[in-house]
Amino acid sequence: MSPPRLTGALRSFSTVSKREEFTEQVYDMKIKRLKRQELFSREGLTWQKIVQFFTQHLDKAEQQSAIQELKSVLQAAKQIVDTEHGQDTIESAAVFLFETFHNKDHVGLEETRAIKQMFGPFPFSAADTSCAAVSRAVAPLGESLVEEFVRSQSSCRIPQRSTAFGRNISFSYDCYALDPQEALPWDGGPDEETSGGGLDF
Amino acid sequence: MACALVPLDEQQVTEAAGPLGLGKERTLPALHPDRKEERCFVPYKPPPEDSSPAQVEEFLEYGRFIMEDLDWLLNLPHDKFWCQVVFDESLQKCLDSYLCHAPRGLDPSSLPSSPALSEMQRSIHRAVFMTFLRMATHKESKECFITPLVFGEIIYNNFLFDIPKILDLCVLFGKGNSQLLHKMIENIFTQQPCYYGDLDEAVPSILQVLDTILAKCGLQCEGGTATEPLKLDSRSRPSAMTMSQQNLVDLVLYLCDSCTTIQAFLDIFPEACTTFHCHGFLNRLASFYEVAVPDLEKAVRKRNFDDKSLQEDLWKRVCHSRRTMVETTHLMLQQSCLRPILEGSENIHTFVEELLQHFTTFLPEKRFLVDYDEQFPVADDVSLLQQAFPLIDETRTSYLLQGVADAWDSIGRRRPQ
Repeated sequence: MSPPRLTGALRSFSTVSKREEFTEQVYDMKIKRLKRQELFSREGLTWQKIVQFFTQHLDKAEQQSAIQELKSVLQAAKQIVDTEHGQDTIESAAVFLFETFHNKDHVGLEETRAIKQMFGPFPFSAADTSCAAVSRAVAPLGESLVEEFVRSQSSCRIPQRSTAFGRNISFSYDCYALDPQEALPWDGGPDEETSGGGLDF
Repeated sequence: MACALVPLDEQQVTEAAGPLGLGKERTLPALHPDRKEERCFVPYKPPPEDSSPAQVEEFLEYGRFIMEDLDWLLNLPHDKFWCQVVFDESLQKCLDSYLCHAPRGLDPSSLPSSPALSEMQRSIHRAVFMTFLRMATHKESKECFITPLVFGEIIYNNFLFDIPKILDLCVLFGKGNSQLLHKMIENIFTQQPCYYGDLDEAVPSILQVLDTILAKCGLQCEGGTATEPLKLDSRSRPSAMTMSQQNLVDLVLYLCDSCTTIQAFLDIFPEACTTFHCHGFLNRLASFYEVAVPDLEKAVRKRNFDDKSLQEDLWKRVCHSRRTMVETTHLMLQQSCLRPILEGSENIHTFVEELLQHFTTFLPEKRFLVDYDEQFPVADDVSLLQQAFPLIDETRTSYLLQGVADAWDSIGRRRPQ
């Protein structure tokens, strides 16, 4: 809990701000994740584009096994989202898994975190399965080709830091702090005579 | 993107209707609720005090959401940014929650314990500041701007800024970004003078905070707004010596935060001094100091603390509060009286009279006067007055200086040479 603050009192007792209570606010992260998934599915790479990419760049024999691997990714995506969701949501989750694992050979901390951030708690085996399946699917294609494909399709999702407001503004992290020199004015215990000592600026 | 060289509030945009951008095209104002993105900003939670892995992970998870969303927001073009700011309540709640709950440098546990937490906190801190900076800017470039009058209405009517938020901004970001903050606050008050009215309404509440601190110590000062007389029965009267240790800690934290916040705000935006002045803030602050400081000092020194580091911390906070109160007084005197005198203002005698009146009012507040004089010698100001206004009544200045000397004697302290 935050310590008592002047501005807290002003918010509570004056009429100059909007009345709102944040202290007990409980936020449902499910809503945020669903919204994030929705935004993710709206732009960039789609499952159709991924399937198309494989059919374009692989010969018939390789295509068959790649499609099988992609089916495994879809299956894993179904476990990670919820069975109650429709095909679009599952495909979008599969796209996310593909993007996450296209250049990884195992499920690391970053990937685990990214999946949890997007979908909430999930079965690790599903992540493991999808990572392995993506890895096998992209193997015949070559790293740079897949990398280029994912980058070109996903670029609209990544914020351009070079155009962000404030990028050229220097910012200081300094903050008001207690002066460490303002030590207790006695050695060993309270002493009446030192009361009302100077400010020692 | 809307058309150039027309203020945003007058621009119209034509875009595809319907949620997926299918259907017919339609024309609507560039600032329109339909143009905001459903983003669901999450509220900020402060870094956990005990760093259990679950709590750390929860903080980082919230933090990543906030950073992702604020990065996205700061990347939006001017028109889209303002649609989001004006019409997305979740964004405002996210920003408000940061101002309310972000740790201040003076908070007991302000520093996150792990590098990951610290890094996340720093990133959010900067992004929140940049968002407020953008919200305080009505002209971003030659092409991207809002009519100043409309900008003033937008920020005021939608509570994008209010007095508590402005005070929070000062105390959170003011230490190292005072020039930028001054520009922001100056622009806000210039484009929307109603904020001066709000400040005028808020100052009595600030004074009430001082009275509340006194009341909790069972004290009262002259000019206070306490409506109930203090009970005569001393056993039932609260005091800094008898209240629970937690209450004393809270009270000292409250005092420290209040003094720092007021000083940060007036230091960054000295134009507000006049409004504080109109409410007799200086005299109330001096009386408050005189009554509250010795009482709290005594309690911190005399009470038995099992945790000596807590006692040490409280002492530092009382000292810090004393210093900021003295500095605030000097700042206000400088802004309201000394500056116009030194700048050779037209009604110089009025300001001279006012300054002398203030010092005279401080004479009975001996402890305050001595602490003030130690940091900002009254004799120096009197000397300045004599140079700027040779007609000054010498009997009066002598009386004043003698009063200061008597104050030093009466509290048994020796003046530094």
